[in-house]
Amino acid sequence: MFRRVLIANRGEIAVRLIRACQELGIATVAVHSEADAAAPHAVLADHAVCIGPAPATESYLDIPRLIEAARATGADAIHPGYGFLAENAGFARAAIDAGLTFIGPRPDAIAAMGDKIAARRRVAAAGVPVVPAVEDVADAAAAAAAVAQVGFPLLIKAAAGGGGKGMRVVRRPDELDDAFAAAGREAGAAFANSRLFLERYLERPRHVEIQVLADHHGHIVHLGERECSVQRRHQKIIEESPSPALTPALRDRMAAAAMLAAQTVDYVNAGTVEFLLEPGGQFYFLEMNTRLQVEHPVTELVTGIDMVHAQLRVAAGEPLWLTQADIHPTGHAIECRVYAEDPAQRFLPSPGTILQLREPHGPGIRVDSGVRQGFSVPVHYDPLLAKVAAWSDTRETARHRLVRALRDYVVLGCTTNVAFLIDVLEHPAFAAGDTHTHFVDAHFPAWQGRTDDRLVAAIVAALDIARTHRTGPSRPDQLAEASPWVTLGTWRLSHGSQG
Amino acid sequence: MRVPLRHKQHHLTVELRPAGGTFHVTVDQSEHIVETQVLDASTVVISIDGRRVRAHIARDGHQRFVAVNGAVFAFAFEPGSAATHDVGSTASPEIVAPMPGKVLQVLAAVGQHVDMGDGLLILEAMKMESRLSADAAGTVRDVRVQPGDMVDGGQVLVVLEYDPA
Repeated sequence: MFRRVLIANRGEIAVRLIRACQELGIATVAVHSEADAAAPHAVLADHAVCIGPAPATESYLDIPRLIEAARATGADAIHPGYGFLAENAGFARAAIDAGLTFIGPRPDAIAAMGDKIAARRRVAAAGVPVVPAVEDVADAAAAAAAVAQVGFPLLIKAAAGGGGKGMRVVRRPDELDDAFAAAGREAGAAFANSRLFLERYLERPRHVEIQVLADHHGHIVHLGERECSVQRRHQKIIEESPSPALTPALRDRMAAAAMLAAQTVDYVNAGTVEFLLEPGGQFYFLEMNTRLQVEHPVTELVTGIDMVHAQLRVAAGEPLWLTQADIHPTGHAIECRVYAEDPAQRFLPSPGTILQLREPHGPGIRVDSGVRQGFSVPVHYDPLLAKVAAWSDTRETARHRLVRALRDYVVLGCTTNVAFLIDVLEHPAFAAGDTHTHFVDAHFPAWQGRTDDRLVAAIVAALDIARTHRTGPSRPDQLAEASPWVTLGTWRLSHGSQG
Repeated sequence: MRVPLRHKQHHLTVELRPAGGTFHVTVDQSEHIVETQVLDASTVVISIDGRRVRAHIARDGHQRFVAVNGAVFAFAFEPGSAATHDVGSTASPEIVAPMPGKVLQVLAAVGQHVDMGDGLLILEAMKMESRLSADAAGTVRDVRVQPGDMVDGGQVLVVLEYDPA
């Protein structure tokens, strides 16, 4: 096993990885940008190395600095997490060239699956079903020509990367030029590769993905599926396992296709094969994510398998200690992603300083958090604050448990999507398991939040202001006498604004 | 006492009248009986017309953040404002940056007439591009940024003059 692992990431996933290493007795090295010197992951590790200024291109995406940090601290392995350089074959190669173990698949497997066009061809040749598409589109003129083959609606995607960056849906011919230009810019900025491809846009598919785990000795197993249909801006916000849509027979077929796709690149370590599933049970390969997924906790909750421990053991060369017959998913898990964003304003990021934080807990509740009270959510990175997951014996009780936990979530100082997540979880269509990738647009076209909660909040804010502002418009002293917080002596002393 | 508040672009006034341990509270013409139980410096159990909920509060200058049932609301205290008009419907003629970011493209020019929903500029923040659009039809009176400019959240980017209704 490794002696010291460098965690080339930030936020909740860096915290998760550092804890997993600690659990296995492995020392950890955190890297951080100048904006993250006091971030939870940076203070949790045994060593912390500042690798550059706040912009990710000068820190978390700077391969030479990361390799140098690993060398300087005596690390013998690097875990990339997800996002940033997790699917960058050049980073994996640089780590290996520096004598380090890259905790993930081999660089050629990353490269093979990272090029969506080549990956699609490769798995299709092996017999895995794929969505109709035109693969390599260099400019807007070529895009216009490709439309004749694919038809509307269509989806423009970045050939490199995922996570919704560089993705655009085009429903009408006159939208094509703008969408193509914007997708190309986003793809270029996010992945330093602006190549795009067009594919048929399925109207009501589910997003169902299969978790696979393979070792260096030719063994592969799957850990069941996750359904991640509820998305906004093409990014998942609620994930669950098992999927309400899968029968055992369909699960077996999808898992077999996933393992087949993984084997086309001799895949090693944890990976996820994503499919779109149509109402009739037809499924199509979407892409393979050659890394740990954001939503891995739901798989952990139903299988009892620690995915990060498994990644570390496989990377250290251990043969798989599990056969398919050993894996028995139990119960139901649902996870949601808590973002600093405003669901009432098209989910725009809403960074800020976290003035108060109370994370939920209780039986069957898991919180993977990357923030703490007093932390300023940097504007430079993804605005994910935490993931909250619930496990229970049935989907319905897991759903209620997650709603209960979210109601107890207190994060003040930035706008979050927690109230929106609650409304999604309580929607009759979600409760019925009737989800698809356009669920949010279909059921929440103009979500504004609950006015009764806003009324309560306004009254609380007004009472507090009446108490803390000396110079109110009329007779503030009299009001202060009766204000609810006035009786709290210690609080008066510590804040002291009211005489 | 009247407390003028702003939540996003909505103005509301909360009128508080102490009444022997409880409050009579008027918010935009609706009346409520309010009782409170303070748990700690930032937590209160508040009962409004018999509905009992726990609320958490944090303070930042004139701002109050309140969490209720997982939802977060940010209110700005506006002591100087007229605050008697119940907005919600009137669109702001000032297009402000919703967050810090970089101006990628300016789509509108001074003097240009725009329709509701027309793009005014494209802003990049937190790795995402977003298009800021006109809330209503009008004429562009001022464009205060150029492509490449870094802007702060709340900064005025474009000023419109809306067409008469």
